[in-house]
Amino acid sequence: MLNIIRRLALRHRSFLLACGALLFVFQVVVAAIIASLDLSRTLEGFLVFAPPAIRAIIEQTIPGGSTAGILAFTWNHPVTHALITAIAITFGARAIAGEIENGAIELILAQPLSRMNYFAAQVLFALMSMAFVIFVGLLGAVIGEHAFGLEPFALERLLRLSGNLLLLQMSFYSLTLVCSAFGREGGRVAVLGVLIAIVSYLDNVIATLWNKAAFMKPYSFHTYYDPREILVNGNLGTWPLAVLGVFTLAAIGVAFARFLTRDLP
Amino acid sequence: MSGTKPLEVRNLKKQFGTLPALCGITFSVEPGEVFGYLGPNGAGKTTTLRIALGLVYPSAGAAFMFGQPASNASARQNIGFLPGDLHLYGEMTGLATLDFFAQFRPASPPLLRKSLMEALAIDDSTLQRRVKFLSHGTRQKIGLIAAMQHDPALLLLDEPSNGLDPLVQQSLRRILLGFAERGRSVLFSSHVLSEVEAVCRRVAILRQGEIVALETIDNLRNKVVRKLTLKFRGTVPSLSDLPGVSRSEINGRDAVLWVRGDLNPLLRRLAEVDIDDMVFPEPELEDIFLSYYQNA
Repeated sequence: MLNIIRRLALRHRSFLLACGALLFVFQVVVAAIIASLDLSRTLEGFLVFAPPAIRAIIEQTIPGGSTAGILAFTWNHPVTHALITAIAITFGARAIAGEIENGAIELILAQPLSRMNYFAAQVLFALMSMAFVIFVGLLGAVIGEHAFGLEPFALERLLRLSGNLLLLQMSFYSLTLVCSAFGREGGRVAVLGVLIAIVSYLDNVIATLWNKAAFMKPYSFHTYYDPREILVNGNLGTWPLAVLGVFTLAAIGVAFARFLTRDLP
Repeated sequence: MSGTKPLEVRNLKKQFGTLPALCGITFSVEPGEVFGYLGPNGAGKTTTLRIALGLVYPSAGAAFMFGQPASNASARQNIGFLPGDLHLYGEMTGLATLDFFAQFRPASPPLLRKSLMEALAIDDSTLQRRVKFLSHGTRQKIGLIAAMQHDPALLLLDEPSNGLDPLVQQSLRRILLGFAERGRSVLFSSHVLSEVEAVCRRVAILRQGEIVALETIDNLRNKVVRKLTLKFRGTVPSLSDLPGVSRSEINGRDAVLWVRGDLNPLLRRLAEVDIDDMVFPEPELEDIFLSYYQNA
């Protein structure tokens, strides 16, 4: 199992370092921008001229235009989601369908390696990779806050945030893994994973902004991740964690059952 | 339980949707044997190997390696495998690839690596290059070394000569015979008859998912219809009732006979007439093979 994890780490180290570095820089840059602007006044000026939809989004996501609110928003920013979800989807798609597509899985599973160990290695590696990138992003946020004199978030809140974000991304990973366990082409599975992530994100945005679409809110993974509530108010309910956690475990279970019983390659 | 045969396949059936891939095949590979597994593309050779390795689940029947079910990972501890369509990780160097596969068996160090590298004409500098920059033949050599470096008790080779030049193919045959001499077993799957003939004592011939022959090569040779060409000195005698002759063609003083089985009765009858010349070539496995396929 360690052998597989080591190979994956070597194979994807550049990708992971790039994602981590981008998230780090993004957090530092946002901290720098926030420190250099009078945010409340800038936002007020902007909101006067902004179209109603944009105004609603900003008011929903950055209430009051507080520094903490904007810093929290960076953890719900499409850039942050895109960087970590890219890891979730790439690794989920490659774990089974990608390895079938490139033909390597036949030789790997002909070694004295059980399917369970192979599967566990893939899941463990994805979990560690996403945790690493989130950690680097948090490091960027902390360094940025200190470097530019912003009030830092409490460590406990940052840990809660990272746990919630990791569970959110594990949900995308596990759903992609299910597709991967049924599929034979990594590319197609990845496209499906991207679509799921985009639909989930848009579902949450639309359901948040449009009252008539509020019924859609529970069907988005992003609903169960609220960085503003965690970082600004210090609240992280058990319900979002339970939903994301149960979904992740169930999806991983389905993917494993399928992987265990399917013919390979 | 199945005993301790390196590989035993019992009444194996596999259906892919409505397509039958294997229709109840049974055979075993004995210790110290190089066993030929012959058949054209699509006959079911690769499916058999994949079932033996636990990659594909049989619809019925079972495969055992050293008495353990194929799906058991520990059954694969003492085997080596080369797939017919070899795919290695392109970003790894040749050496990293060999190390990667060696690490799956920490208790079986790659003792044969050096000698295999010499025999297959692959040097250290080649192993420093990334696999994606290597030729097909060199990748095949790396696949072979990865399969054999830990001196496995059972080798499963699916079309191992793919991409190898004739000299390396000869070396491979010597390596396989060396394995058999040390009591190791080899299942040699191929559609190239000459290479199977060169190393295997026993073969199974697979046709459309069924084993149509499971014999020693010598026995198969005895079963084949062979062509006997004769030039008579005088008039050609009546050939219609010659024992063992299934068909004959006469052209002047020349005659061609298709002969099967024991030759002695025929030779006794031919001794009664004068013959100028006789050509009776050694039966080729090719003829045997084709005879099975032409009878399909």
